[in-house]
Amino acid sequence: MIVRSFRFVDLETPVEYFNTWLTPVPHFFVRNHMHEPSELSADDWRLNVGGEVEKPFTLSLSELSKLETHSVVNTLECAGNGRSLHRPQVPGVQWGKGAVSTARFSGPRLRDILQRAAVKPTGKHVMFRGLDEVPGKVPPFIRSIPLEKAIDSDTLVATHMNGAPLTKHHGFPARALVPGWIGAASCKWLTEIKILESEFVGNFMSPGYRFPNQPGKPGEAVKPEDTHPVTALSVKSVISGPLDGASLKAGKVAIHGAAWAGEADIVKVELSTDGGTTWNPARLGHDQAHYAWRLWNYDWKAKGGDYTILSRATDSQGRTQPSTPVWNPSGYLYNAPDQVKIHVA
Amino acid sequence: MSHSLTSNRPTPWTVILRRSIAVALGVIAFALTSTFAASQKAAEDLPAGPMQAKATTSCLECHEARIILQQRLSKATWTKEVDKMIKWGAVVDASDHDPLVDYLSTNFSPEQPAYEAPRSAVEKASGQKRTK
Repeated sequence: MIVRSFRFVDLETPVEYFNTWLTPVPHFFVRNHMHEPSELSADDWRLNVGGEVEKPFTLSLSELSKLETHSVVNTLECAGNGRSLHRPQVPGVQWGKGAVSTARFSGPRLRDILQRAAVKPTGKHVMFRGLDEVPGKVPPFIRSIPLEKAIDSDTLVATHMNGAPLTKHHGFPARALVPGWIGAASCKWLTEIKILESEFVGNFMSPGYRFPNQPGKPGEAVKPEDTHPVTALSVKSVISGPLDGASLKAGKVAIHGAAWAGEADIVKVELSTDGGTTWNPARLGHDQAHYAWRLWNYDWKAKGGDYTILSRATDSQGRTQPSTPVWNPSGYLYNAPDQVKIHVA
Repeated sequence: MSHSLTSNRPTPWTVILRRSIAVALGVIAFALTSTFAASQKAAEDLPAGPMQAKATTSCLECHEARIILQQRLSKATWTKEVDKMIKWGAVVDASDHDPLVDYLSTNFSPEQPAYEAPRSAVEKASGQKRTK
């Protein structure tokens, strides 16, 4: 894994690992804003559900595990994936291309838990609080999602990942799983679900995780009132091979990678081997699920020379990766076409 | 002429094979040791300079140096970051504020070469090969 930081733990998946539809858990990227909980006990863990509800209650892990389980294959991507590629550069973890991975998440539906609590008509947003340990006077990592997304049949309180209990890095014993949305929506080490009348007010809702309403000039400040919360992921593709800087022999070269689009489906991935002048369709892999990436590949007969290879994806909402990314002060949602430079001998 | 399979004397091919294996094992051992050393290094240091000690005290209380080493920011952006961190609990004497911003914006400006992030042992342990 690429070590962006050990304290806090921020580990990036090398792109050459994007060769399986489901990412093995040890290779699944890790993003923490705070220290991981120093003590976690399955026996002592509790999930408190309250706020704008008729019947607040508390669940133990054994009680949670008795609820009906549902599985969702989801591509989870950090909103800041690709931040290091923005110009001018912006502060934050300098992710390359690998703050994204795919897993099968399982656990009770959040809506089943909310139904049991009986949300009042005044309840419009669902807040998640985790057990992260907050240093200094740093604001706690608390965020909320709108009720409509919370009661979607695929939004989970996940306890398992690829068939095994969550590991500590990924939120043991339970995390929110908000499919198709930025990773920050899927709060780890979940311990409280609170129904609110309005969006949670806190640093990680505003000014954090907000995007300009209109693309501005790179480097220019954006007024808070001209922004909106970052929610669903953009359409995006990454080339997992050949790697940038590779030197290859002339002949058949397999170009491959992954493409995803948050709540939309990938309908097309195109490859350019001439720096973006001409584009050809790649083959999409068989494995697919609504919120999961599609692997893709393209067979290229390479002649000697230096090449810039690009990939770009199009989704079911008609979105295509833009030729230039939308710069924003926090470096979110970078999704310009991916590119690698290679030499063919 | 064929070589006896029961002979104790190594054939030239056997010698080459053994040497190749020894070299390969040596390379693997070196690679694993290097990776282990890089990945197990608990923390990198901030660069030398008049504010190194104070920056270490103020910033590394909450996070490691790599968080700083990987940034490439303008002086204006560093100023905002330092102010945000002070609000979030970083202890910086008023007289150290501007020298700290100077130290950070000098060492970690957009003109500096990109930071090369290390890789952890998880990758090597996985047995996955790079395709490059």
